[in-house]
Amino acid sequence: MNDRTLISAAIAAALALPVGAHAEADITGIKRILEQMRTDYEERIAELEAQQAYKASRADERPSYGAVTSGTKFNPQISLILNGNYYADSIDGEGAKRFGAADGIHDAHGHDDGHGHEHGGSEQGFNLGDTELVFSATVDPYFDATANLAISSDGDVELEEAWLQTRGLPAGLKVKAGKFFSDIGYANNQHPHQWDFVDQNLAYLNLLGDHGLRDTGAQVTWLPDWNTYTLFGLELLQGEQEKLGALVEEGDPLNLDDEERGPRLATAFVKVSPELGYNHALQLGGWSAWAGQHQEEHEEPVEHALEGDASMWGLDSIYKYDAGRGYGAGDIKLQAEYLWQRKELHVAYHESNASIVGAERRFTEDGFYLQGLYGIAPRWQAGLRYDRVGVFENRKESGGATLDEYDDSSRWTAALSWTPSEFSQLRLQYSRADMSVEQERETFDTVYLQYTMSLGAHGAHTF
Amino acid sequence: MPRRKIPILVLPLLALFLLGGTHAQTLNVVATSSSMGALVREVGADHTRLTVLAPPDRDIHHLQARPSMIRDLRRADLVVAIGAELETGWLPVALRQAANPAILPGRRGYFEAAAQVPLDGAGASADRAHGDVHPTGNPHVNMDPLRMADIAQALAERLAELTPNHTEEFRQRAAAFIREINQHLPGWKAAVADAPGALLYHRDADYLFARLGVPILGYIEPVPGVPPTARHIRKLSERLSDRDGMVIHAPYYSSRAPEKLAQTLGWKRVSLTTEPPLEADGKGYLAHIERWVVALAANRP
Repeated sequence: MNDRTLISAAIAAALALPVGAHAEADITGIKRILEQMRTDYEERIAELEAQQAYKASRADERPSYGAVTSGTKFNPQISLILNGNYYADSIDGEGAKRFGAADGIHDAHGHDDGHGHEHGGSEQGFNLGDTELVFSATVDPYFDATANLAISSDGDVELEEAWLQTRGLPAGLKVKAGKFFSDIGYANNQHPHQWDFVDQNLAYLNLLGDHGLRDTGAQVTWLPDWNTYTLFGLELLQGEQEKLGALVEEGDPLNLDDEERGPRLATAFVKVSPELGYNHALQLGGWSAWAGQHQEEHEEPVEHALEGDASMWGLDSIYKYDAGRGYGAGDIKLQAEYLWQRKELHVAYHESNASIVGAERRFTEDGFYLQGLYGIAPRWQAGLRYDRVGVFENRKESGGATLDEYDDSSRWTAALSWTPSEFSQLRLQYSRADMSVEQERETFDTVYLQYTMSLGAHGAHTF
Repeated sequence: MPRRKIPILVLPLLALFLLGGTHAQTLNVVATSSSMGALVREVGADHTRLTVLAPPDRDIHHLQARPSMIRDLRRADLVVAIGAELETGWLPVALRQAANPAILPGRRGYFEAAAQVPLDGAGASADRAHGDVHPTGNPHVNMDPLRMADIAQALAERLAELTPNHTEEFRQRAAAFIREINQHLPGWKAAVADAPGALLYHRDADYLFARLGVPILGYIEPVPGVPPTARHIRKLSERLSDRDGMVIHAPYYSSRAPEKLAQTLGWKRVSLTTEPPLEADGKGYLAHIERWVVALAANRP
């Protein structure tokens, strides 16, 4: 207001001034002052207006504790993951089926677990992989929950995971319950779309099955407030697992014990990560699992049944290098795991030779994989993997005597992945496998061309 | 004899307890980026112990939730994020794994800068045909000094909630920082008054350009989060061939496309981070904005 009055006065004064030669200098001076005042005034007004507009646009002056999110109000976050591939091999389409049937403690008898749904059972030509449908949400201040459905190309729906996890426990404790992928090892809790190769490594596939160790139960983890990241975990699981702690239904005619009350499977794990700064990250882990009841039924060569207990342990390491360039260029990821499994069983039933009932059957097998990824260019990743089962041990024993020594199986795999955006990926993969299946050794090649599409609110992945 | 031993045992315990007491007065603050770290240093001063998760030379959109981050979050009293889903690729999962209920979104220990200020472009269509879009608005608020002023004020209030003893100090420090920003702003604007503008790589400095009144001539990414195509580069150079400008991009983006454009157009190419140095405080943040101003001003006719 003062400015305005001043300007008006100045203008009035300027108009009232007699025009004279001696006054010209004054007029120029006044004009300059006026000009200066006008500029200042306009600047001030513009500034105030801008500030006012900005302040007015502030939605809410109360402090906001929340996150700005596009999460859809009260609906859970939903994501849908599509994947499919074109597959070809050099042994009449048998290749993908053989990867999970390496000679060893599971498949020495041509054992079929009757498990219909498979991630790896590709036929030559076009295959539609499982479509994953994931729902996740914070239930209330106390729980988070996630459900993950896998829909096969035939339309069969399988519940991959359905679990809740606590949010508010003190002292770094968390409890998870429901059906979930165990957090043992590094690769175990990853869904197929997170894999760096089209197919699961031989060690996991043969010792733990298509789904890794996945079961219904409860997990407690403890992250102590230590200077070095250390996570401890314990899991009690029902023991309805595909490979470790399997049970035979209708055990009576086979002279198998009744199903013991659960939980029948327990695991323990620890993960440690030293501080290596912003560029490097390393995590080392160790785990063990023990199944108190394990039963197997085999049709070949004649019907017989085994039962007892089973145990496993493993070591895992993961190293990541962040090159600090855009879109993953120059990044490195190295990953290796070793798995060891033993089943202490005895013959419970034998169709043609009752005399061996009660005889000990001890199976031991191990496996490992080593894989590396390198970001060869923005959005482009090259990967190489070597995996093998029967590294140091792969045999059947009874009373200290080795009955069978199974051949090892191994494979080299190279993959090239292109990630046009965060939500889509195309991958070309070639493997040369040297597999021993049903006592026959064969070397063959497989090729995959795979796509993976992530639709919707796709959550972040863990380290 | 046992009687004499008791005080010997109790003293260190007591000392530990007392140390623990003073310990509790210093807030463990984890900032996702160095700009947020600068605010924490400026407002919280020595009442905070700060860890910054992402160095300025990293693309904060794409980080790995490293275990050491989870360790830092585990012991944090407050996490200060830029927010609006900018860190969505790694922060939510790190927070979930940290097993620290005090810093989960919705709690006092979670501070999101973008939630304290209005965002431009909010409500845009959530269609990923347009790239890695942020339907909640442009999250890069760290590049707007005035929004940072408001965020500083909100942060002071949050710090005060967590350590009420220092309320006045936090408020005063925030007010001083806001004054400094307001003092610098007219000078910055004047310095770039008729700058011809710049071509950016990503929409990460839009707020600063709007604040300074400098035009953005385009983006090297065809859509957010997607690397440039040859066709897009050609179209850009055709469109901009008859005008003056410069190319500015963050150091983590490949310099190939920016360099090619700069050469074709005869423009200058400058690599500038959108985040201040790791150890920056309020002054460091102002110096960081100043670097952008100087770069833009240097290109005036």
